[in-house]
Amino acid sequence: MTAPDKDMRDPRRDEVIAGEYVLGVLSAEDRRKVEARLARDRQFAAIVNRWEENLSTFNDDYEALQPPPRVFSAVEQRILGAAPPDAAFSGKVAGGFWNSLALWRALAFASLAVTAGLAFSLSALLAPRPTSGGRLVADMSGENAAINLVARYDETNGALRVTPIAAGKEKEKSLELWLVVDGKSPVSLGVLPQTGEGELAVPADMRGNLVQGAVFAVSIEPFGGSPTGHATGPVIASGTARFE
Amino acid sequence: MNGNDIAYLIGRVSLKDRKAFATLYDRSAPKLFGVCLRILRDRSEAEDALQDVYVKIWQRADRYVASQANPLAWLAAIARNHAIDVVRTRRPVATDIDEAYDVADALMTPEEAVVIRSEGRRIDRCMQELASERASAVRRAYIEGLSYEELAEIHGVPLNTMRTWLRRSLLKLRECMSR
Repeated sequence: MTAPDKDMRDPRRDEVIAGEYVLGVLSAEDRRKVEARLARDRQFAAIVNRWEENLSTFNDDYEALQPPPRVFSAVEQRILGAAPPDAAFSGKVAGGFWNSLALWRALAFASLAVTAGLAFSLSALLAPRPTSGGRLVADMSGENAAINLVARYDETNGALRVTPIAAGKEKEKSLELWLVVDGKSPVSLGVLPQTGEGELAVPADMRGNLVQGAVFAVSIEPFGGSPTGHATGPVIASGTARFE
Repeated sequence: MNGNDIAYLIGRVSLKDRKAFATLYDRSAPKLFGVCLRILRDRSEAEDALQDVYVKIWQRADRYVASQANPLAWLAAIARNHAIDVVRTRRPVATDIDEAYDVADALMTPEEAVVIRSEGRRIDRCMQELASERASAVRRAYIEGLSYEELAEIHGVPLNTMRTWLRRSLLKLRECMSR
């Protein structure tokens, strides 16, 4: 029996490795290899996630048993003593932040309230080019979705940008962006414009906090933003910032 | 335990909402404790593992929101993965990812692109298409976090036979669910 060519990306092999990982039969070393690959290979991560979803039916077999109270106390102790954040790369962050931290790729748009998926039609984008030039815009919305997406295509440079806006009647809801820095309460970075531009001006005194590892989150708030200064609505997107 | 409620709580935890975290713990810890106990088979180890699991949940809640997964399955996966890591460290097993795979029965042609659809057939129906002993091996591997060696011993077959059983079963399940 000849060994299969390791360079050949055999989809069956990936399915098998992913399945073995989720089943739990791999050695510790192999699990680390899989996890390293998960971090950098999105297609492979999707394969693993699919196995996790498929096999999760078996979770019904696990019993529910009350753990002793000391476990939660110990957990609380550990999360309270969170380490302070690393020194800010403040020199590199100002100005070029929205590009360098690839904010919109760190955030994924998942609505916690959606039961039907986001369905969208990009027919506006696929229509024949308008002779007047300029930007094409498409609105993508879903049944019962908490957010809609606006896609803007600039044919002069081929750039397609997709940004979220709050669904619902006009002036009913806003999407508010929060920054979570270790050990502190989330701080509002402002309300996202409903036009789908997605650009906010970050106050100078906050720029030092926009670093790799900072967590961003978007919540649905009453129109104009949270009246209390804390996130009051469901969190629909959340992600950790990283440099590209 | 409503999935939407759990998803909402995890979202709040990504904002470091400690009250939501306490509620999430109350609702989900018994199940995750059951997971740890089943895999680790030792109460004291399971308690320690459960602690680690909830610290991970606190730290990784933002990853849930990005994943769009079933919230209960996401929590259980953290627990299962952690418990299995503990077991594999405690009782190391042979590494075999780079060895030749005997998947000679081409159940999927190599040209087929891997199309990731979130809708797939439910696994229950597909498990029924497997021979009962193979299905039982798959199920036990998952629930108890057993290694190939342990499974081979339980079923009284050589190690390589068990590897082939599970690998072929995984491919058959995937093929069935993609139909």
